[in-house]
Amino acid sequence: MDTQFIGEHLMPGKLGHFFAILSFVMALFSTFSYWRAAATENKDLNSSRSWQLLGRNGFILHVAGTAGVFITLFYIIQNHLFEYHYAWRHSDLSLSPKYLLSCFWEGQEGSFLLWSIWHCVLGLIVMFTAKGLESRTMTIISLVQVALASMLLGFYIGPDIKIGSDPFILLRTQMQDAPIFSQPNYLDFVKDGNGLNILLQNYWMVIHPPILFLGFAATLIPFAFTIAALWKGEYKQWLKPTLVWSLFTGGILGTGIMMGGAWAYESLTFGGYWAWDPVENASLVPWLLLVAALHTLVVFKATGRSFIITIVLMSLMYMFVWYSTFLTRTGVLGDTSVHAFTDEGKALYWHLLAVLGTLLVLAIGLMLVRWKGMPRVKTEEAVNSREFWMFIGSFILFLSAIQISITTSIPVWSPLAKAITSKDIAPPADVIKHYNDIQVWVAIIITLLTASILFFRFKTSDTKTVLKRLSITAGIAIVLSVIMGITQKIGDARYVVLLFGSNYTIVGMIYYAIKVQKMQLKKLGAASTHLGFGIFVLGVLFSSYNKEVMSINTMGIMMDFGKKNASENARESMENVLLYKDAPVVMGEYTATFKGDSTSPDDPRVFFKVAYERRDTVTNEVKESFVLYPDAFVNPKGQEENSMSPNPDSKHYLTRDIFTYVTKAYDPNHKPTDDTASYKTHKVHEGDTVFTNDGYLVYAGLNTNIAPGTYPQQAGDVAVAAVLLAYDVKGPVDTLFPIYYIRDQYAYQADDTLKKSNLYARISNIIPDEKAVELKIKQAAAEDDYIVMKALIFPYINLVWLGVIIMSLGFFLAMINRITKKEKTATV
Amino acid sequence: MKRTHIILLVLVAAAVTIIVSMFGDFSTYETFASAAKEPGKQYHVIGYLDNSKPFEYNPQVDPNHCTFYVKDKAGNTHKVIFNGAKPTDIEKSEQIVMTGSIQGDAFRCNKIQMKCPSKYQNDQVAIGNAS
Repeated sequence: MDTQFIGEHLMPGKLGHFFAILSFVMALFSTFSYWRAAATENKDLNSSRSWQLLGRNGFILHVAGTAGVFITLFYIIQNHLFEYHYAWRHSDLSLSPKYLLSCFWEGQEGSFLLWSIWHCVLGLIVMFTAKGLESRTMTIISLVQVALASMLLGFYIGPDIKIGSDPFILLRTQMQDAPIFSQPNYLDFVKDGNGLNILLQNYWMVIHPPILFLGFAATLIPFAFTIAALWKGEYKQWLKPTLVWSLFTGGILGTGIMMGGAWAYESLTFGGYWAWDPVENASLVPWLLLVAALHTLVVFKATGRSFIITIVLMSLMYMFVWYSTFLTRTGVLGDTSVHAFTDEGKALYWHLLAVLGTLLVLAIGLMLVRWKGMPRVKTEEAVNSREFWMFIGSFILFLSAIQISITTSIPVWSPLAKAITSKDIAPPADVIKHYNDIQVWVAIIITLLTASILFFRFKTSDTKTVLKRLSITAGIAIVLSVIMGITQKIGDARYVVLLFGSNYTIVGMIYYAIKVQKMQLKKLGAASTHLGFGIFVLGVLFSSYNKEVMSINTMGIMMDFGKKNASENARESMENVLLYKDAPVVMGEYTATFKGDSTSPDDPRVFFKVAYERRDTVTNEVKESFVLYPDAFVNPKGQEENSMSPNPDSKHYLTRDIFTYVTKAYDPNHKPTDDTASYKTHKVHEGDTVFTNDGYLVYAGLNTNIAPGTYPQQAGDVAVAAVLLAYDVKGPVDTLFPIYYIRDQYAYQADDTLKKSNLYARISNIIPDEKAVELKIKQAAAEDDYIVMKALIFPYINLVWLGVIIMSLGFFLAMINRITKKEKTATV
Repeated sequence: MKRTHIILLVLVAAAVTIIVSMFGDFSTYETFASAAKEPGKQYHVIGYLDNSKPFEYNPQVDPNHCTFYVKDKAGNTHKVIFNGAKPTDIEKSEQIVMTGSIQGDAFRCNKIQMKCPSKYQNDQVAIGNAS
């Protein structure tokens, strides 16, 4: 420390780093103590109790440390201490307070911290509720916390190997080479931070990451219970908490994922809520595996079957949580993801692989050790039993997860494939189609199974009753599907089947809720979750199958796009439409007019006002009109001139959404002044026409009767006005009276303007011999005010959101039911 | 053999078939030269924008048409036509991945992914009132 730097606040950083170390050490301590507690349980109960107590205290101190890190980092961001790299990089002075927390999830360290915090909260709950499995479950939780806490250490082993990344690193340490940091008063120059990624400045981004991370963190709990049960070799106690926690996780993670979809829909411009992006898949795969595991667990609880597949799925589910982290955080996905995080270097790569390896060895090792004593049932399931079909459904979900993983992992295994086949494999050219084509079958099978399975009973069912109920369900579903298929014009065979499948599920679940569960709210968990799933699939089907691009451009060049037919080509190449200011453009059944832009001082965005009108085709009456304000960050900080980051705006109807966003606009901050356009001279005789950018003017002769006040008149003026009738494409608009007058033997002109068209008219000369006048017309190029816009229609997208809500409610109903239900185990 | 095992085998067989057929879907990374061998077939090409040549995008003529030149990994510059609005910040990108096919004299692409040097995390200190 040679230089004394001025104005730095070093205390919070030191404190924060201390908390980080405390958190790490205490996680280690807690792991060790809990492990001892579990190991001595059968030999020496007293010693086990003491170790358990130590483990608890260790975990509580670990929680305190993690909370300390969180609060310190928050303090640094909130007080804009830009001497800290994290604050400087992820926030700035103009950041509104509601987005302060969002800075956490923009950075690597912050998101690990958030994940860790949720583990702390959930860990505390487990600590006080796990009873006989506490020591073992908490050993696993603490062990994972060791891994997460080490991510925040920033320790160097030797010059090259760095363990974790310290969020409290100073800007000047992070960028040692920059010459500015040799000045003691460098902080005088670092006035403001880089700011938060504008994409994160959206209200969904305030709520979506914490929920998603809670879901991600919650996956640890069923996994920890599973490992604990294997460790103990006792599979009864484990059932209830694992079931409850799996339901909790399924509900939260599912909600979190779809909140991400809602965010993508509202603020990203890929035009939809799901794009099969690797980051989305990364959270979907663990969810699918969890749901599969949840179902086999229910089977195990009811019949004692499917134990092995349950623990395999549970373990696999948690492996995929870490594998997803590995995929999305290390930059290994490289070119394939739109929002993969930046490369954080080799250290994190090996760090995450080490964690993954440890967990894998732990799970596989325990399974091998306990293999012989695992509960098995020798007899076969009956075909008319619920467990048989549930098992198949779970297996389908598992296969679906595997398919998604293989394609998502292309960048991981393509080097290997290259070595073997010397082909450099890339993701499919049309990723969305690739996934949809395969996953549609999964959706079909799952929807068909869902409704059927709930009418079966465990072990064996009365086939007659089941068939009767299923035929009633199928009958109603067929009628509904025919009606929907015709009105929605769904032609593709696969989607017709899917339409039937989703209707079958919806009808089946409503029927099941009324007939079998007699509408008892507590018991409606399963019916509600699956009903939600059915509605969700229906919504996905309608909104994507009949997604319609409204902004088909009718003036562009037709391009060959390798699509099957001309209309698809046209659609692909012309989804953007150009709107000049005040020039209406027909889009579908609407007429859209760009009305201008507006900004407000406390919002960095520019809002583009686009008015929509729907007229009756016969009477031309305005049936409906509304205004949408798609907006954009124009010239955001740290980016180039003339760049913009658009946000969509949508008009929501019950049955559809009209979704628009601006893909390109003139720069409102650099509007051309009126003088860029120059006057053009036209010599006109009476009755002549002058064409303008958006219409024409007709010269109707001179008039000496000048209305007072049209120009600053004085006594003695000799004045004459040219009468110009202005027309646009629809008809007459206005009459212009540019004036020419002689005052004190000098000629003067007074312009008249047509504001709407930015038109200026002036008489430059009068030629009495030819009965002509020379007009000078200037039109400030109206083309300078334009936007390029895309507009899409998503029919019935509300079904997607409704389905998600009902599904989440179902998970929680089921969870509450499982918590309050009296145990009557049928387990072996 | 249990019935479940038979069904499992069938499902696994079906899954393997699907996964193998999936490989037909996968595209490959090519250069302009190798993509030109099969015109019309969709490939991924990685390259970077050749800034010495003009970037043409005139939304007033056609908002869905960009023409520019890209140098691929083999070092060959090729004309690229992108059907869409000009991607934001493409001049700043250090690498672009294009999905499309060779058609005539141009590589026509419908998807562009850009890698920008710390697009959102600009590691350059903004220096205010430095004397």
